Amino acid sequence: MVEAVTMMRYVSPVNPAVFPSLTLVLLGIGVFFTAWFFVYEVTSTKQTRDLKKELLVSLVASIFSGFGILFLLLSVGIYV
Amino acid sequence: MYKFVVLFICMCSVISAEQINQLVINKNVERTIDLTSQLVKITATITLENTGKDTVRNYLIVLEPDTVGNLSYISVKDSLKEDLKLTPSKVEKHEKDVYSVQLKQPLATGRTAGIILEAVFTKGLVPYPNSITQKEKQLVRYFGNHYFYTPYATSKQTTSVTLSSRSVESYTKLKPVSQSDSTLTYGPYSDIPAFSQDRMIVHYENNSPFLTVTRLERLIEISHWGNIAVEENIEILHTGAKLKGPFSRYDYQRDTGSSHHSIKSYRTILPAAAYNIYYRDSNGNISTSQVRTRKDWIELELRPRFPLFGGWRSSYTLGYSVPSYQYLYRKSSTEYVLNMRLLDHVFDDMHVEELETKVVLPVGVTEVQIKTPYEVQRLPDGVTFKYLDQFGRSVIKLRKTNLVEQHIQDLEIVYHWRSGLLLLEPVLLALALYVLFIIVIIYVRLDFSIHKPEHAKKE
Repeated sequence: MVEAVTMMRYVSPVNPAVFPSLTLVLLGIGVFFTAWFFVYEVTSTKQTRDLKKELLVSLVASIFSGFGILFLLLSVGIYV
Repeated sequence: MYKFVVLFICMCSVISAEQINQLVINKNVERTIDLTSQLVKITATITLENTGKDTVRNYLIVLEPDTVGNLSYISVKDSLKEDLKLTPSKVEKHEKDVYSVQLKQPLATGRTAGIILEAVFTKGLVPYPNSITQKEKQLVRYFGNHYFYTPYATSKQTTSVTLSSRSVESYTKLKPVSQSDSTLTYGPYSDIPAFSQDRMIVHYENNSPFLTVTRLERLIEISHWGNIAVEENIEILHTGAKLKGPFSRYDYQRDTGSSHHSIKSYRTILPAAAYNIYYRDSNGNISTSQVRTRKDWIELELRPRFPLFGGWRSSYTLGYSVPSYQYLYRKSSTEYVLNMRLLDHVFDDMHVEELETKVVLPVGVTEVQIKTPYEVQRLPDGVTFKYLDQFGRSVIKLRKTNLVEQHIQDLEIVYHWRSGLLLLEPVLLALALYVLFIIVIIYVRLDFSIHKPEHAKKE
């Protein structure tokens, strides 16, 4: 047996108690950027479209939504 | 030449069976046979004396060759209740079930020492008659030995047999023997030669649950997001006297006496930190369960879908989560230690025929080391895929047969894992979403119209 003195109890890097609120915040931002992206896509025309802006907005949207979905899974009990 | 002979003798003693030291005697043996449950629990307090000239280091324990039932657990403690080392050994005429106990302090000439032997046998109680009707009481027979089976001569010994009820049909009467309430006392017998055997038969009423877990699959899943999920798939069988004739639900409901041989419900003990507990079978959730929170544990009262009679079986799934800090330790930045029970409590005085414990490790672990509290069979490692898995997780599989409560001990798994791998899943999710967005970006740039664009018309 390894001495318990040298070992630290492992805790999650994110406190499980904040999973639900983290989900709300991250998914909220994610949904906002997703909405912005799609509104931009349908309203812009071929002339006004800017590829850089599209990629940037979608990148931010996907990062926030990605983390948001992860914490949603964690908060409902699907520990990935 | 002399040297050669000595060497030869040494060689012989190593290879061949261990010698029984006839000069060691059991000065006093007090044996308790506990037959109150479905298990046979034998506790013997032995006072041994060295009457020879040489110091004694080992003490041999030999089990009876024709014991009814299987030995599940054996341990030897010294008088200070500290465990002594047991090693399987061999003596003449006894090839198996021989254990050599290493004494903590070598026993000098004329000295005495006390040791406590504890052994648990399963399937040692045989229902007789082997099938009964719903209203009858369950009678069982125990086959044992009036004398403590030992390779040494015994000066004095007593045996007390604890039964679950005072109604005893019959018992062998090797004088002196007495019965008081639910205890039979045999002895004291004096000056018993080594390897003495005399069949003891006790036929008595035992209505305690004869419930056997025929197969237990325990799945432990580690998540470094701070959770350990445990799931147990359990198959149980009532191994008492078989039910003869029909089963009447009406009689069953009306007869509220507690002396049923059938099993209505039983209690499972879970760790105090367990949450998200579920109890279901192949049909869905079983609603007849109750969770009670005690100070140091969680008590779960499980009621199968139907009462269990002899020969009836049932199966269910029980699962729960525990926070990782209870069982997972961090040794260094990349080294982690899981310290968890290999087998957990299912019901009191349980008997598990077959256990398979699977430990699902996180994605990307390396250098896995396993330390088991007792000998188990390690099955080839598997790979399983959980949510958001693309590489698969390695699964450690351990198997053991014939276990009892004393086998509830900790398993230790040490593994290396980089904490950066925790970001794998969210990055994967983000990437998948980003690919979706890029598909949209490409899609809006494609032109599927069959007529010419408007600005082309104007020109």
